[in-house]
Amino acid sequence: MKFWKYFGLRLFTWALTIFIGVTFIFFIPRMFPSDPVETMIGQIQARSGQMDPAEKAALRKTLRVQFGLEGSLSEQYLSYLNRGLLHFDFGPSLMNFPADTRSIIGKYLPYTLGLSLTSTLIAWVIGNVIGLLAGFRKDKRSSKILEGIAIAIYPIPYFLVALVLQIVFAFVLKWFDLQSFILTNNGVWQFVRSLVRASILPGVSMLLLGTGWWIISMKSLAATTAAEEFVLYARYRGLSESKIGKDYVFRNSILTQITALAMSLGTVFSGSIMTEIIFGYPGVGKLLQSAILQSDYNMILGVITISIVAISTATLIADLVYPFIDPRIRYS
Amino acid sequence: MRKIIAMFLTALMALSLCAFGAASAESTEVGTPRSETLIVECQSAASSTAGQFNPYMQGTQNGFGIHQLLWSHLWEMDTVKGEQFGDLAESMPVSNEDFTEHIVTLRQGIKWSDGEDFTADDVVYTVNMILTNTGIAQNAYYNTVFASVEKVDDYTVKFVTKESFPRLSQKFGVTIWGNDLRIMPEHIYSKLDDPSQFQNSEPVVTGPYTVKEYDSLGNWILYERREDWQNSDVGVITGVEPQAKYILFKYLGDDTTRQMAMMSNQVDILCEVTPEALEVMTSANDKIACWYPDYPYATFDDPCSKGIAFEMAKAPFSSKYFRWGVALAMNFDEISMNIFEGAGRASVLPILTATTAIQELYYKPIEQWLKDFELVLDDGTSFNPWDPDYKDRMAEKLSASGYDIPTDPIEREAMFGIGCWKYAPDVAEKLFVMAGLEKKDDGWYYEGQPFTFELTYLAETEAQAGRGTLAAYDQLIKFGFNCTISSVNSATWTTNDQTGNFELGGYWPTGGITKDIYSQINGWANDLIVPLGEIGSGQGSRWDNQQATDIIHELATLSPDDPKAYELGIEFLKVATEDLPFIGFHSGTKYVPTNSTYWENYPSSENAYNGPWWWWSCFKFIVPYITPVQ
Amino acid sequence: MRKFWRNSNVRLKAGLIVTAFFVVLGFIVYYFPHANPFSYNTYPKKLPPSGANWLGTTSMGQDIFWLLIEAIHNSLSIGLIVALIGTVVGVFVGLIAGFTGGALDRVLMVITDTFVVIPSLPILILMTALMKGRSTVILMALVLAMFAWAWPSRQIRSMALSMKERDFIQTAWFSGEGTVQVVLTEILPFALTWSLSNFMNATLGAIASESSLAVLGLSPANLISLGNMIQWARERNAILARQWFWIGSPIVATVILFIGLFMLITGYNDYMSLKRGR
Repeated sequence: MKFWKYFGLRLFTWALTIFIGVTFIFFIPRMFPSDPVETMIGQIQARSGQMDPAEKAALRKTLRVQFGLEGSLSEQYLSYLNRGLLHFDFGPSLMNFPADTRSIIGKYLPYTLGLSLTSTLIAWVIGNVIGLLAGFRKDKRSSKILEGIAIAIYPIPYFLVALVLQIVFAFVLKWFDLQSFILTNNGVWQFVRSLVRASILPGVSMLLLGTGWWIISMKSLAATTAAEEFVLYARYRGLSESKIGKDYVFRNSILTQITALAMSLGTVFSGSIMTEIIFGYPGVGKLLQSAILQSDYNMILGVITISIVAISTATLIADLVYPFIDPRIRYS
Repeated sequence: MRKIIAMFLTALMALSLCAFGAASAESTEVGTPRSETLIVECQSAASSTAGQFNPYMQGTQNGFGIHQLLWSHLWEMDTVKGEQFGDLAESMPVSNEDFTEHIVTLRQGIKWSDGEDFTADDVVYTVNMILTNTGIAQNAYYNTVFASVEKVDDYTVKFVTKESFPRLSQKFGVTIWGNDLRIMPEHIYSKLDDPSQFQNSEPVVTGPYTVKEYDSLGNWILYERREDWQNSDVGVITGVEPQAKYILFKYLGDDTTRQMAMMSNQVDILCEVTPEALEVMTSANDKIACWYPDYPYATFDDPCSKGIAFEMAKAPFSSKYFRWGVALAMNFDEISMNIFEGAGRASVLPILTATTAIQELYYKPIEQWLKDFELVLDDGTSFNPWDPDYKDRMAEKLSASGYDIPTDPIEREAMFGIGCWKYAPDVAEKLFVMAGLEKKDDGWYYEGQPFTFELTYLAETEAQAGRGTLAAYDQLIKFGFNCTISSVNSATWTTNDQTGNFELGGYWPTGGITKDIYSQINGWANDLIVPLGEIGSGQGSRWDNQQATDIIHELATLSPDDPKAYELGIEFLKVATEDLPFIGFHSGTKYVPTNSTYWENYPSSENAYNGPWWWWSCFKFIVPYITPVQ
Repeated sequence: MRKFWRNSNVRLKAGLIVTAFFVVLGFIVYYFPHANPFSYNTYPKKLPPSGANWLGTTSMGQDIFWLLIEAIHNSLSIGLIVALIGTVVGVFVGLIAGFTGGALDRVLMVITDTFVVIPSLPILILMTALMKGRSTVILMALVLAMFAWAWPSRQIRSMALSMKERDFIQTAWFSGEGTVQVVLTEILPFALTWSLSNFMNATLGAIASESSLAVLGLSPANLISLGNMIQWARERNAILARQWFWIGSPIVATVILFIGLFMLITGYNDYMSLKRGR
């Protein structure tokens, strides 16, 4: 019974979080002194020279109507809440007008999700295992070495790691393409092969940095837990080190890490921007960046709304699963 | 620990397994023979609208080879001569006396890629489609221009304009980059419900290539030469067979990546790079070259000069003395060195860019006037700001640092321009005082307040503009101004420019490619100015000059071929120079690298059969002359 | 003090030395008189390192050494301000939410969650577009701090939730200590260890966020920071042109700074657990 009450409340805060988040994200771009119609005209002028004033005025009028920017802000907002949140329909992408935002995102989202989720999960597992070893058996030589590697790689700015990987493996050794090259129209086998090939460098670059952080945070958690009384007590009781590690230190430290994992999924969207730019990997990060640069409201809203919903849901699930792992917490 | 090592090794093995099967020297990633494939960098980023080849559906990425290879215009641009020529049209339009009726004769013998003849029906249909379909962006504008478009016979079309329209071919043919009027096949488009919603994934075209394959993720498009290339517009006009069986347009990623792709011969033509990148690439791979074989490498004929724009609806930027003060407070030699190591043709006059043609047609004729031009100062003295020695100074400076610089004054003029504004900080101080500023011990004041202003430039676009603005900022700080600098994205800038929400901006409201300059300058008429904060259709700079406006209005009614039009153009340039609404730095300086490992005979300074404008629609007229390396 | 030094471990010492070194560079050497490093053509271009220009000069004739000092000063300032705000606000909100529970907890967590779920980089890109060039170190730091507090507060809250149930807290509770006192005496020291490593991470995160913006070309154009320095070098093709001192010095500085900070924190953790007699 208590669980259901907790569940209901948690569900309510989940919905509320999403609502506040998307409201925020709806109004922020509209407060900015940029305008998709002007951007489009600016782009045309940047490549084909100054536009005739009469042509400019006419084009502006046409685009304003087509982009649906004529209604008042509150009307736009209500229609967005209705269509966007309930049906994931964000209208046409303004920079790719009249192409549909949803179908464009739908085309690129699987790539971002696939790459980021895989590398985040692998990094999380490897990082936590190494971190646990390093924190729990901190005097062992091997754990010190692994930790040392993590510390040395972690602080390097991400784009640099990516660039170095790209220069070494794609330019000098020529093992990979300089830019991701995914064959989508030559059958499944070709597709999978090229996808794996294209994903390795970006994946490894994300993995390298991700692992570092998990090692560091897990290590500090494990070290703190390992120094606690109940662990000492277990030692006095003569339990084996591996049992202590597994049942006491691990179970206690992993909790914080699970929440952290759920939330780090948030970086899936914004964190993939640099990866996608450097490796030319298809995905929504790049989509989002160009949407921001071109003030494509609908696209910004589309990508970030999906991102907000995904992260809130991940944290919701983490919170619900929590008490099953940590018996000390009750639903309250 | 051992487990971890084992895991690591397994991963490494899996990694190396996938590592093979990349593009080899013999074939491209898309499986075509490398020796038959010309690989060109696309102008835009990866396309989110892959498979969309219809230029009348918005969002189509025309720079992805689509307007270079597939579609044709009525008139194309000869970028070397600076003149238009007939593409689908056989000749230039013939207009009646008051320029309201225009007869266009079409070229015969051109066929669509499905074998249908290209005729007047296609042209009439295309224009009428734009006039009636409100989903097409140009719809409103075409309706303000055209009263009707009719077929006279199979190869003759009559355009009737609502008002006198002396510049039909400039407005509806190519002058720079491309034009919105691309002719579509009537026999296909007329069957559609709404041509503005038609992707046209398998386009039927008049150009020499058709689409063979495209990446659904938008990273590349593979074009294949038409079997009946003789029937394409290029085939009919030149009679030369395009040598490349395939052309692959490809998105190459960030700046470092594209350089690496070029150095490892994975691409044959890049759009534009920085001089630093060119230096690295040419020293790593001797097959890579640029427009000139030696210094300055770049071509200077891009028609947009970069420099400093002012928001002239705001004080003190509204004062011409302030603007002249800025011009004289900056050391142009240092600015040149800071942008592209001194490379670039000085193009300091406002609004008109010193491309080769414009330098001859407009800059040189007023050279004497510039030498006599005086700024009258408050203290009764006057000052001539023109500095004709720039080219020699730069030539000596660069020769001293080891570059091979010509000694011939004509060549030097082509390389460095005819002159620039003097560096005269003392005169600049007097001018600023005349503009109402006041110099105190702790800096400049305006209306009793410490004076500060902001320079703005676009973050993610042209290096030349960004570096120019930073160099100007550096100069103005050294002069003693307490100014700031900011970079904004183009979305913010385009709106700020229009609403006047800037002070000084590193921007390029400039141009100049044809002898007739009307379409370059008509945005500067003062009747187009709207109050700050509103968006108008003229220049965001809000230059209010009655003399200039009168010239623009008079030009509007004259034929571009009228000698009076040219005289007015010269007059306009003098008026603008006196008032200095824009300080130019250099003409558009473009480093356009080519790689001759697989292909050769690209246009270059020594073989200038065309300009190096791969991203313009005229690329289809370059392609036949690019030949495979034997 | 001497006792502290004797008791501390190698990491703590090394971390202290490295961090102190950067603080000296950024906040003491910074004030030594020198030419404005941003100004172009102060020196000849592309000089190799020499007695006059310790790290050589850039393609714009700027002295790399002083550029670096200024960058360290600004980046450290940004990082420290962000980390301070983020950690203090985060710990405060997290503890309150975790220990009071009820309606206050829920309200705080909804706000926190909102900030956690909104992806920060896009918003930062949008914010910098609004700030334009008027942004200073402080303003930049405040914008970055907007997103720096939410994660720690959520982490601290879950830590607090888990601790609330533990014996030593329960004992304190039963012995009549008030919530505030329990938090101050029992929880805060415990949370502090974690907060410190979070502080390090927040510093790093802030500097990294600023670098990301810089690499996207969106950090204020005249703000000399480590990220912008890397970006300027990249724009002038310093990587492929092998101008290693120019591109390398901000990168090496960033890496060493972070390793130093990290050693400081782990060393401190070990030192504290030793001191607590465990």
